[in-house]
Formats: sequence, C-alpha cells, structure tokens
Amino acid sequence: MYFQRHIFSAKLSIPLMLVWSTFCVSPALFCATPAHAEISVHHGGTLLYLEKQAHKSLYPPAGGFYPNGGILAQITDRLTWQNTQTLAIEPWLATSWQINADSTIYTFELRSGITFSDGTPVDAASIALNFDTYGKGSKALHLPPSEVINNYDHSEVVGPLTVRFYFSKPSPGFLQGTSVIGSGIVSPRTLHMPLEQWGEGHNIIGSGPFVVQDEVPGKSTTLQARHDYNWGPGELAPQGPAKLEQIRILVVPEDSIRIGAFLSGQADFIREVEAYDENQITRSGNLLYAPSTRGVNDSIVFRPDNDKVADVRVRLALLRATDRQEILHTLFSPRYPLARSILAGNTQGFQDHSSELYYSPTEAKYLLDKAGWLLASDGWRYKNGKILSLGIHVSAPHPQSRSMLVLLAQQWRKIGVKLNILTGSPAMVVLDDLDPQTTPLYQAEVGRADPDVLKSAYYPTNRNVLLQKGGQSQHVQHFTDPECNQLLLAVASETDPLRRLRYVADIQSLILKNSYSIPIFEEPQVYAGSTHVHDMRFEAVGRPVFYRAWLDTP
Amino acid sequence: MTRYLFTRTLHAIFVLWGAFTLSFILLQVMPGDAVLVKFQDPELGLNPQQIADMRATYGADESAITQYIHVLGRTLHGNLGYSIETGLPVGHMLQAAYPTTLRLAIISFAGAIILSITFCTLALLLSEHVTGRYIASFISAIPGITSGIPVFWLEIVAIQLVSFHWKLIPVVGLSGWSAVFLPGLALAIPISAPLAQVFMTTAKRVQQLPFIDVLRARGLSPFRILCSHIIPNAFPPTLTVSGLVFGEILAGAVVTETVFGLDGLGQLAQQAVASQDVAVLQAIILISVAGFISIGLLSEFIQPLLDPRIGRNGQQRKY
Repeated sequence: MYFQRHIFSAKLSIPLMLVWSTFCVSPALFCATPAHAEISVHHGGTLLYLEKQAHKSLYPPAGGFYPNGGILAQITDRLTWQNTQTLAIEPWLATSWQINADSTIYTFELRSGITFSDGTPVDAASIALNFDTYGKGSKALHLPPSEVINNYDHSEVVGPLTVRFYFSKPSPGFLQGTSVIGSGIVSPRTLHMPLEQWGEGHNIIGSGPFVVQDEVPGKSTTLQARHDYNWGPGELAPQGPAKLEQIRILVVPEDSIRIGAFLSGQADFIREVEAYDENQITRSGNLLYAPSTRGVNDSIVFRPDNDKVADVRVRLALLRATDRQEILHTLFSPRYPLARSILAGNTQGFQDHSSELYYSPTEAKYLLDKAGWLLASDGWRYKNGKILSLGIHVSAPHPQSRSMLVLLAQQWRKIGVKLNILTGSPAMVVLDDLDPQTTPLYQAEVGRADPDVLKSAYYPTNRNVLLQKGGQSQHVQHFTDPECNQLLLAVASETDPLRRLRYVADIQSLILKNSYSIPIFEEPQVYAGSTHVHDMRFEAVGRPVFYRAWLDTP
Repeated sequence: MTRYLFTRTLHAIFVLWGAFTLSFILLQVMPGDAVLVKFQDPELGLNPQQIADMRATYGADESAITQYIHVLGRTLHGNLGYSIETGLPVGHMLQAAYPTTLRLAIISFAGAIILSITFCTLALLLSEHVTGRYIASFISAIPGITSGIPVFWLEIVAIQLVSFHWKLIPVVGLSGWSAVFLPGLALAIPISAPLAQVFMTTAKRVQQLPFIDVLRARGLSPFRILCSHIIPNAFPPTLTVSGLVFGEILAGAVVTETVFGLDGLGQLAQQAVASQDVAVLQAIILISVAGFISIGLLSEFIQPLLDPRIGRNGQQRKY
C-alpha cells in the first residue's frame, strides 16, 4: 500500500517538477533582458499620453487642475526648482537670490541666454511682468491673482538680468511659491491676453523644453521638443533638449477605455489609475507611478456654522466613528498612506498626530449622548426633534470619492448618524458647498509642498474649507475662529523658519483639537507607464515631468 | 410652389426661434451659471469682490431679459459668442467638432440602412419556407432586442473585443474616417432597430395585398417579388422614420463620442452641459434643430418622387 502510494506520487511529481521548473526559469529569462542588457538612451519618438480630462485654462495660477498642470509643467519653466527629495529650493531660471531679513524684498539674478519659444529673451522685465500679474491679477484681462503669492506689492527691474519684488507684509512662502507650476514663466505677449484666450495652447509662449505644436480643443494636444533648450533644473541634469521628440496628449475620459488602450499597447503613459485597476497594470508587467501630492490630506472637514456640527463633541464623535483603516483596506491600495495629521507626512512642518486619530465607536456613542443627540427607536439620533443627518457632495476630482462616502455612511450608520450623499450639476455643487446648512461636511484636499498650503485651504479669503465668516459665502452666520486665522496669517508671514514651523505645528494641533477635520489619507496621483518609458520624473506635487523621459522603441 | 417654400421657411424660422428661447429659459432656471462654475472654483481662491468683478465683466449680473436680448441680437448677427469655459469662440469650436459627428452620422446611418434591409430581406425570404418560418420569426425579433440594448454598453463591449482583445483597430490616436468606423458601426445597431421594425411591418402588410398573390400566381420567384415589388412599396414609410432617426443619432453621438473620446458635437454638448456653458449649448441646440428641420423638409420633398400617390402638400392624391 505504502509502496503503491509512493509510485503514484513519483509519477505525479515528474510533470509537477517540469511545471515548477518552467515557472522558476521563465521569470528569470524574462527579467534577464532588461536587467543585463543595458539599453542605451534613445532620442526621438512620440510618447502617447492619455489624460482623463481636457485642460481648461493654461493660465499658470490655474495649474492646480491636473490636466492644466500636466501641460504647463512641460511648456513653462519657473524661477526656482523644488528638489523632489529634499524639498530644498534650487536654481532654475534664477541662478541666485537674496531675501531681506523680514522677507519683504526678494532679489533674483537670472540666468543669461534663455529665450521664450518665440525667440524673445527671458529678462528681468518679462519676469517682473509675470509676477505683477500673478501677484495682483488683472481686472481688465480677467486674470485672477495666484493663491501661492501672499502680500505682493510691486516689482522693480534692477538690471537686465536682475529683478526685485517688494511685499507689503512679510511673505516667507514666496521663494517656494516661485517653484510651483502656478508660477510658470510666460512671455510678456502672452500676459497681455485676456483669460478667455488662455485655453488655446498655442497662445501660451513659455521657455520650457516643449512647445504646443498642435491641438484640438477638448481632445488632444501635441507638444514638440525645443531643440535649443539648454536650461533645465539641476536635479534633472544633464542640460540639453528633451529626449522625446513629441508628446501627444489625448483626452480619454472613460476609465475602462483608457486602461484597456494602455494594456493593449495603444498608449505609453496614462493618468489616473484607480486603486482597483492597479493590479491589472502591475500584473501585465507595466509600471505604476504614485507620486504624492503632499500638502493638505484628503479629509472630511466640518462647517461649524451649521448647528448640528457646532459642538466639538459631535465632531469628535464622528472622527471616532470613522474607521479609516477599513476605508483604506476596502477601497484603496498601499499607495494611499493613512493620514497621520491634516498635512501629508512629506510636507514641511508635518507633526504626527496618529495617536489622536483612533477609531472607537463606543467613545463616539458616549460623546453623542453627552452632546444630547439621543438614539431613537428608528435607529437614528435626534435632538429637539431634529435628526442628526448631515449632507456632503461627492467630490469628483478625488479618487473614489463616492465609494468612500458610501462606506463612511455605513460606518456612521452604526452609531445612528445619517450621512446624506448629495449630487447635482456642477453649478449646484458649487452653490451647495457655500452653504453650511446644506453641506455641513466637505471633502477637502490641497496639494503643495510648502506650509503656506494650510492658509490656502483654511483661510477665509482663500479656499475657506471650514466656511468661516468673511469668505465667498453669503450664508455663513457666525462661525469664525480668530485664533486659527491668526496662526494661518503667521505662517504666511513669519520669516524665522523655526518659528514658522512651530506655527505650522500649532495649526495642526488646533484643527485636530477642535476636530474640524477628519483626515483620511495622503493623496497620491497614480499614473501608469509602459516598460518602454524610461526616466520618468514628477515634480514636488506629483505632476509629470517628461523632460528627461525617453522611449526605447522609436 | 414658391408659396409653399415660403410658408415652410417661415415655419422653420419660428421653430428655430422657439427652440432658442426655450433653451435660454431652461438654462436660466437651472441654479448658477458658467461664470460661477468657472470662477467660484475654490482652486482659484478668489475673494467675493473679485468674483463680483468677474460677474460684472461677463455681464452675468444683468437681468435675464437684458441677457436674452443681448444674446438674441448677437446670434442674429451670426456671432455665436465665446465659450466661458474654454474662452474659445463658439463658431470655431463648432467648426472643429462637426466633421466628426457628420462622419459618425453618415457611417451609422448607412450601416443602419444596410443592417435593417439585410435583416428584413432575410426574414421575408425565409418566411416563404415552411421550416425557415421559425428562423424568420427569430430574425424579426432581433430589432426589438437591439433597440433595448444601451448604446454605451454595446460600445464598451465592441471596444473590449475588437480593439483590446482581437487588436483589429486601435481606439485611441485615430483621425478622420478611421476614428469613426468602429463607433459608427456600434451606433448603427441600435439605430437600425426602428428602421427594421417599420420596414418589416410595412413589407408584411404589402406582402398580404392581392397584387402579390397575382404576381405569385403568374409564377414570379419570391426573390423577384421581394426586390421589385415589396421593397419599393415598403420603402417610403421607412424614409419618414429615417428623419426621426436623426434625433437618435444625435442622442447616440453624445454617448458614443464620450465613450470613444471623439471630438464631435456630442462631446461638446456633454461638456457644455457639465459646465453650463450657455453660448455653446445654445449653438448646439440651434444646429440640431436646424438639422431636424432640414431632414424633415428633405424627406418631404423626396417622398413624392418615390410614391406618386403623395402630392406635394404631403396629402394623398385621390385616384
């Protein structure tokens, strides 16, 4: 009996071993080609890049919108470059700079010999005009000011290659502000166009490694390399023109088509791969890129002007009732790190607050009971006859916003709180989000590597995510947090770096102490690239930089 | 004849004006507007004063009636205005977009006619045979089924199979006719359904008329009867339906162009609705209505040529 069994297993083991050995050998064979045979850098070729959305405006301060930023990052240069590893500010168009003690005067020395793609030189006068426009906006041309430049006053052309900027109040964030896509440098002629004309790519004359060659509005944009480009940032050395000859950006809004076309080899690079599609990409041997967008994490924020969430106990209860681990495990991938504060871990001034962000439904129920919201027989909580039901709009730009809110509604259902997920036309979403009575909750996220991002998100005259008094909204009755606003202004104007970082830490503590925000995850921007695309880079907030990239097949 | 043309033209102008006005009212009733969608974006971080200034420069703070008079006057001068969303002149946007939709319409319409005629001919020929009758009834049921298939589903399946699985034709990066070939064929399937249904019903009615029996008694082959007697007699009502199918093509174009990422009028319409871009939407509405009217007129003019019993006024002549 024993003997027979032994024979049987031996018979079986021969094919098994064959199969096993093939499995062992074949990956090694496949890997051998790229690992051992060093592919030399190939110049030329057209990279096909599939975008999810069409660009809207190429006015650089509107570069926060990914499709806008994706083009602006190729066709414009900035004064400075933010190192993607160290976050230090390095020279680019500016070779050096001086800042006075209270950060109100910035002097930049420009590199010589740089030209815009129409041949005109990049000089002090053109740089001055750029920042005059971005710093103050232009009413006549409908151009809004940039959100990254605070307290701007005026510029002065000191010499042909020396430009100075004056600020009415200290503006310590300005140096980093010169490195963001929103501060892309364009020719003076471009700056004389009204905002309406910034939608057409060929109108935008920058000094970047690529120029817009051809475009079909809303559909495709073709970028052509500039052969005389020789002034890239140090981190992207060596200097020289881009290696790709062309980049063809095609708008393919439908997710399944974009990913299907990529997987079947019809495209080289795509933006916006949802977590549930990541496996398909990696299984097929292609590469995923998930650069962090840094800045303010993807969070659910409260609008305390609405009485239902005016009580800090209610807000804390909802934080306790949110199982953030479950959200990440269910919907996202390891590329989406769990938020440990309101700021992403790789943003300057980040403080780890994870110990305060734990999940505890018992504590949540206790806090709601204390706050007077009592469980009724129908399973929901009521106070003075009013049900604890809170509205929030699905936020289209954020990954799987709807699914995340649905899961959140299920989690809050367990403690008797109703989450109403709202939808509407884009204009209705905008209007609703300005009214704390309709939307006591809001999904917020702002990408930027400088602590100034806190002011962009929370300050009343900026994005005002908490809807304080003094912002765009006419519906806010009373809510304002002077302490928070003072700290936000201090961050935007404190010149001593250490003290500035202390203010950043104070704001994080203050917002979490008051439970204004439930930070969920650090938002990456997920791209997929074929194995033929080499040396792909991303700038500090996750926009693609094709300057160094090359294709190994022509 | 001139009087007829005159009244028809007046009628068409009235319908165009009506569509224009109605669409304006509907777009006004919707909450918010394009200026709001574009500038109240928190990403821009504008303060209330800056937004008020933007509204003033775009004239969005004027009363609806002032805006209507302004827009109507501008349109009568042939100026379709600017898109608030993209800042491009609407005329240019339409010029760039219409060839794709026209090609899509031509391929899907031609495809639909070929499909419906093939189906009907097969069904009618088979129904002559005792055993083929079951197959014929199965074939006649197909248009009913295809008319119920959602266009976007059919298209996604077509792309998955034809482009991604069999790799016969790429779905991205094409231009001209090749870009609309697969989408046109996919759209032809649901569009062929009403055509086939009308064609089949009329053909069956003609088939039961006494003169067919006479022809059969004289020994004509079923194929010959079908081709030279049933199809010509069943064609005019199908033509009338084709005019209505135009609407279905336009509606289908919105979905098809979005799924395939084509840069046609449908895609433009979809984006304009999303951003409440009134100028673009009204231009598309005007074009669609003009298209409807001209196709209606065209089929009215062709009908008497195909069917002598129909008079020029669209009434049946008495014999």
